[in-house]
Amino acid sequence: MTASPSKNGTGMIEFRGVNKWFGALNVLRDITLSVEPREVVVVCGPSGSGKSTLIRCINGLETIRDGDLVVDGQRLGDPATNMTRLRTEIGFVFQSFNLYPHRTALENVTLAPIHVRKIPRNEAEQAGRELLAKVGLADKVHAYPAQLSGGQQQRVAIARCLGMRPKIMLFDEPTSALDPEMISEVLDVMVAVAEEGMTMMVVTHEMGFARKVAQRVVFMDAGAIVESGTPEEFFSQPKTDRSRAFLSKILRH
Amino acid sequence: MSTASLVSGTSFSMLENFSFRTIVEYLPLFGQGLVTTVWLSALSFAGALAVGIVLAAMSLQRGWLFRVPAKAYIDAVRATPLLAQLYFLYFGLPHLGFVLPELVVGILALSLNSGAYVAEIIRAGILSIPRGQVEAGVASGMTYVQRMRLVILPQAFKVTIPPLLGQAIVLVKDSALLSLISVSELTRAGQLLASDRFMPAEGFITIAAFYLLLYYGLKGLAALSGRWLGLQPARSST
Repeated sequence: MTASPSKNGTGMIEFRGVNKWFGALNVLRDITLSVEPREVVVVCGPSGSGKSTLIRCINGLETIRDGDLVVDGQRLGDPATNMTRLRTEIGFVFQSFNLYPHRTALENVTLAPIHVRKIPRNEAEQAGRELLAKVGLADKVHAYPAQLSGGQQQRVAIARCLGMRPKIMLFDEPTSALDPEMISEVLDVMVAVAEEGMTMMVVTHEMGFARKVAQRVVFMDAGAIVESGTPEEFFSQPKTDRSRAFLSKILRH
Repeated sequence: MSTASLVSGTSFSMLENFSFRTIVEYLPLFGQGLVTTVWLSALSFAGALAVGIVLAAMSLQRGWLFRVPAKAYIDAVRATPLLAQLYFLYFGLPHLGFVLPELVVGILALSLNSGAYVAEIIRAGILSIPRGQVEAGVASGMTYVQRMRLVILPQAFKVTIPPLLGQAIVLVKDSALLSLISVSELTRAGQLLASDRFMPAEGFITIAAFYLLLYYGLKGLAALSGRWLGLQPARSST
């Protein structure tokens, strides 16, 4: 099936017939998907369906076996593609935050801009302070990750990505490791990022978020994209048995 | 003629006649030996760190080209006695055309030996850093070297300090073996006293006391660095 609303080659992220195996396990099956600039796509599906693997392929944290994956006009696995360079254009937010524990919040945000982007320190620090203020942590600039709550850490992690001024932001279950009362503070920040026109792929089961900012929901099962549509369509009229079964489970409570 | 029989046969009288005066007389020699032990140990430990960092980096490579030789070297060093390694270099290097002063051979042997242990400590330290830290660095576009320098090593450094100081203590004691290739370090001073005056107790108890002193010095350093490192996370309170 095709999940592309547009013609080939215009997407910010283009999967074309992508396959990946972990040993004998076909974790990504014939993935074809195009994400347009400024589009927000939510990826959902049962555990082990390949959603995390899907977005991890985009910045090369995982490699693909066959098919084409073109990101920002550059084909992954092509010798001409500078992967390190491409990654500076892609922010990645992890489920477990992965902040640098030996660095303060501000240093977490400025480390890559200073050393990878080669932005002058004072400039990077000013931008870092502004970003931390934007995610509501102006008073935690000099705090170490261990001194922050999960929600605060994840907001620092988002600021850390934004500090690189990326073209794409990827979120791998950004609220799954959080206590319930901290989820909304992180989602609010993500909504703000989406509303500024960031191209985003978000692996999440937060349907409120999907309804609010996503143009599209992609449902995966057993490594394949089973269904794709607007949040409205997907949540109110799921087309397949598998998506209905999945939704009935996550909506029950 | 053996000192062993002398010790066992006359141990009582030996302790009765324990001569502090002789020790005081030999104090300048012990002093020189102590100073030599300190600086040759320091130099050897610096060498061991260099060897260890290179070996650890090699043994962490995925490809076999660097990893296998590093592992083989580490195994060889850990499986054989330091004394054998010391003699191997001391008698072997001249055959290869390298005639080096005893002191240099000694420092080389200690560096190469301790380096294998240091490599394992550093490797374990690096592996103790969670995978997510590497991925965070990768995802932000850092190169391997940047990741190591900015993310992994500063964190690994912290966990390796205590075992590295432990290794430093071992190295100081191991340096006693250099007396066997007539390096004038602390143990050599004890040997000289023991053989010049037939006073093994005075010779070896004195050096033991000096080694104990060095041990407490290093232990104090370890505690100090621990406190300094431990302070870091709690330092800031915004």
